[in-house]
Amino acid sequence: MPRQDPRGPFPDRVRALFGTGARTAPRSARRGPGAPAPRRASLLVRGIAVGLALAAVSACAVRTDQIARDPGVVRMALNGWVGYEASAEVLAYILREEMGYDVQLVRTDEQPSWQALDQGVLDVIVENWGHEDLMDLYGPEGNGTVVDGGPNGNVGGIGWYVPGYVVDEYPEIAAVDGLKEHTDLFRTAETGDRGEFLGGAPGFVTQDQGMVNAFDLDLEIVFAGSEASQITEVRRRYAEEEPVLFYFYDPQWLQEELELVRVDFPAWEPGCDEDLEWVPCDYPVYDMNKIFRTGFVEADEPSYQFLDNWTWTNEQQNEVARMIAEEGLDPTEAAEIWVDGNRDVWEPWLPEGRADR
Amino acid sequence: MAAVTRPAAGSGKAAPGGAGGGGPSLLRNTWVQAAAVVAVLVAGYWATRALGGPAWAGPFPTAVGDAFMAWLDGVYGWIVVNRNDSPLFLYFFNYVSVGLGSAVVLIDQFLGFLTWPGVTVLGVLTAWRVAGWRVALLVLAAFGVFALTGLWNESMTTLALIIASVFIALLFGIPLGVLAGRSDRFHRGVRPVLDFMQIMPAFAYLLPFVLLFGIGNPAAAVVTAVYAFPPVVRITALAIREVPGGAVEAATSLGSTPWQVLTKVQLPLARRTILLGVNQTIMLAVSMVVIASVIGAGGLGDAIYQALSKVNVGQAFQAGLAIVMLAIALDRVTGAVGHGARTPDVPERLRLPLLGGGLVLTVAVVAVARLMGVRGWPREVAVDLAAPVNAVYEAVQAAIGPTTAALGAWTLDWVLGPLGSLLTGSPWWLVTLAAAALAWIFSGFGAGAVSGLAFVGAGLLGVWDNAMDTLSQVLVASALTIALGVVIGVLMSRNDVLAAILKPVLDAMQTLPPFVYLIPAVALFSIGRVPALVAAVVFALPPVIRLVDDGIRGVPAPTLEAARSQGSTKWQLLTKVELPMARGSMLLAVNQGIILVLSMVVMGALVGAGSLGFDVVFGLAQNQLGLGLASGLAIVCLGLFLDRLTQGRRAPRA
Repeated sequence: MPRQDPRGPFPDRVRALFGTGARTAPRSARRGPGAPAPRRASLLVRGIAVGLALAAVSACAVRTDQIARDPGVVRMALNGWVGYEASAEVLAYILREEMGYDVQLVRTDEQPSWQALDQGVLDVIVENWGHEDLMDLYGPEGNGTVVDGGPNGNVGGIGWYVPGYVVDEYPEIAAVDGLKEHTDLFRTAETGDRGEFLGGAPGFVTQDQGMVNAFDLDLEIVFAGSEASQITEVRRRYAEEEPVLFYFYDPQWLQEELELVRVDFPAWEPGCDEDLEWVPCDYPVYDMNKIFRTGFVEADEPSYQFLDNWTWTNEQQNEVARMIAEEGLDPTEAAEIWVDGNRDVWEPWLPEGRADR
Repeated sequence: MAAVTRPAAGSGKAAPGGAGGGGPSLLRNTWVQAAAVVAVLVAGYWATRALGGPAWAGPFPTAVGDAFMAWLDGVYGWIVVNRNDSPLFLYFFNYVSVGLGSAVVLIDQFLGFLTWPGVTVLGVLTAWRVAGWRVALLVLAAFGVFALTGLWNESMTTLALIIASVFIALLFGIPLGVLAGRSDRFHRGVRPVLDFMQIMPAFAYLLPFVLLFGIGNPAAAVVTAVYAFPPVVRITALAIREVPGGAVEAATSLGSTPWQVLTKVQLPLARRTILLGVNQTIMLAVSMVVIASVIGAGGLGDAIYQALSKVNVGQAFQAGLAIVMLAIALDRVTGAVGHGARTPDVPERLRLPLLGGGLVLTVAVVAVARLMGVRGWPREVAVDLAAPVNAVYEAVQAAIGPTTAALGAWTLDWVLGPLGSLLTGSPWWLVTLAAAALAWIFSGFGAGAVSGLAFVGAGLLGVWDNAMDTLSQVLVASALTIALGVVIGVLMSRNDVLAAILKPVLDAMQTLPPFVYLIPAVALFSIGRVPALVAAVVFALPPVIRLVDDGIRGVPAPTLEAARSQGSTKWQLLTKVELPMARGSMLLAVNQGIILVLSMVVMGALVGAGSLGFDVVFGLAQNQLGLGLASGLAIVCLGLFLDRLTQGRRAPRA
């Protein structure tokens, strides 16, 4: 909903028409056999009303946060790592099956997701890592289009990792001083006579170059380009016990499949990562939080209340993420398995009066 | 063999040289000149190193480029703050995005409303009516694949996106094409714009459109429409121009107004050709829709993207198969309309009843299906291809992985590395001059001038080092593509069985989205420039093979007979007769191969190729418009150079 509209309220009936969407399952069908008729009628009404809406729209100015949406649809950003997907799919599954919502999961990178919230195209980011600068830009201090939804229970750590077998051979490598002595271990054909640091996906939070500069490490950053290709490469080298030094994070299901050791750096202190070209400290510990579109919060529907109540642990996330990434299950199936087996965990998340549905 | 007619197959901008007139001495001369230029460049590189890289012999200064990027970032910041205040957005961009977003959703809902039996009946009947029963069966098979891979809903979303964006592309493209067909001045003005649009890598389009139209379906539809629209303009213009002057003259002399000439003479006569342009537009839209999944478009592209982000090659293959079927079905249906071939022969008086009957049948099927509660295809009824594909993939990886990894390391040490340092380590003006000289030698003075300007442009954009790094990768990948393409193409032209086997494979490879090649490439060649190179070669190979094959098969039989009767060996026949006579096709093949390799540069960044492609991806992911757009434009500059270098001398027509 728009916060202030100088031209008076945009008819709710009309606004409800847009934005139903792509990956939505037919809600009525899921509710049981009695429902198809209203669905058809509502579709017709929607069709006519969208035409009317288009006519109305062509007569006045359009603000992006007015892009209309169906109150029955929750639109979630889906960022590019499996842990995020696990959270999003479980939430989507409960919203669909238990609360009767349609859920649209839109795959985007972190920054564009914020932009989409700002534009009113999405409602929620369920796992946000930091991004104070974006909060300044879009939050209550700036455009006022997004709000911090509080922690989601996951604690995230980004860091530099090496496989366990490297530390077995060179124990001192697990700290920055020892690493500095042994950067030549990580030389590859790609980087020539400098060590290779395998970066993450371009969309991820990073201060690696600043750390390389500040600690004077003889390393060159090679970006894997996506989480998938990075994992493929790490797995390949792990299988052959080749040394590899890379950007990684926790919670991440691969952490349980491979034995990885995090390299110690001086702990993060406020402000030490201000200049991204010179970062003499480790990554901060992130208490991951949820980000909501302001209008979504103000509407205060059960869908919002549910997402607001939700928190879960790193272990719970990994349980689902592993089913998706390692066992190759369809994300929806993985979510279904977890939801079926953990009713006591998620029932308290449901808003009051919904628990018995 | 001096003045033989040229094979009809190769055409387009790769105009033939002087039909082999000068013979080997001229050819040798050209190559000697080129070698001299390269020698000067290498000497310059060593001289620079010996002098310790003084400032006047360094890379391009970045001051202008930095200012340009900062300015773009400023624009970006302004848009973020003013998106809901500026009239430009309130009355234009926001409209487009709201309207388009809704259009996609509506079409998708309509397809959902039809239910799967309804969509299938409608699709198959339409295909049969416009393209005959063979194509109808193909369409049926495509629907079968959508259903059995469990991707019915995703396929419908993709179809909705394609319909919406092709509609917009045609809405603007056909009138522009007509205008360009009728006015020479407009045609001259619009051609460089279209050239630019076709060289710009698909990925680089995304960033500005996300900014203007937001994330998700609206931006995806607009970007797909814009990407797909050059061919329809070009081909419509061509079609209007090809209408015989006599017909237009006759109509004019009978007193027709220009409007009547257009609607009664030119458009009807040009209809077939225009439809081929529509066909091209649809094919481009299919490929862009997949890439647009990066900015939040749903559908099959999203399915591929998600599978790849989980390193699930099998799942990606399934979704890729669905895309291939969608593309082939759309291609055959619209292509058949264009060629007017194999339409069932329905007598005039039966046409209307037939149409009515088809509609009634469709409505009946939809009604029955809806009454029975049928909607999308049930996901449970699906064939799992993912598991076997994954098994094969892992077996291949285990079997040849070590060999390919070693091969990759060798390529880096001995080819990519030295070439990269040659280009980045030499003074910028020397590299620019060398590029201009090479283009001049191979394609004439105009091309040389454009190439020089393109290099200066890349420097002014502030991304010189990355541009040179990218150029070295593109050159190596292109050389490999062309070498392999010529060998396979020649083999294919010799052997009909091989050709019959390869043709459908090439078809599929051309429609398979480039994403799909990335993960296997990483598994076999590790991370870095090599897997990107491999993916680019695999992606660019099919059209090269096809053009070489076409060119050689187009050599007239009497000429071959003549050469044989004079006692030519097979090798002589190939090198002295067939390849020279297929020169037009070969040049086109080289040109196409290089441009396709260039279009994979950005994709390569997803597996660690770095340089320009990475900056485009990074700009998109981190909302850095300046860096992303400047790098995208630099890729266009490189594309201009490579295009001009390989277009060949425009010979005066004999």
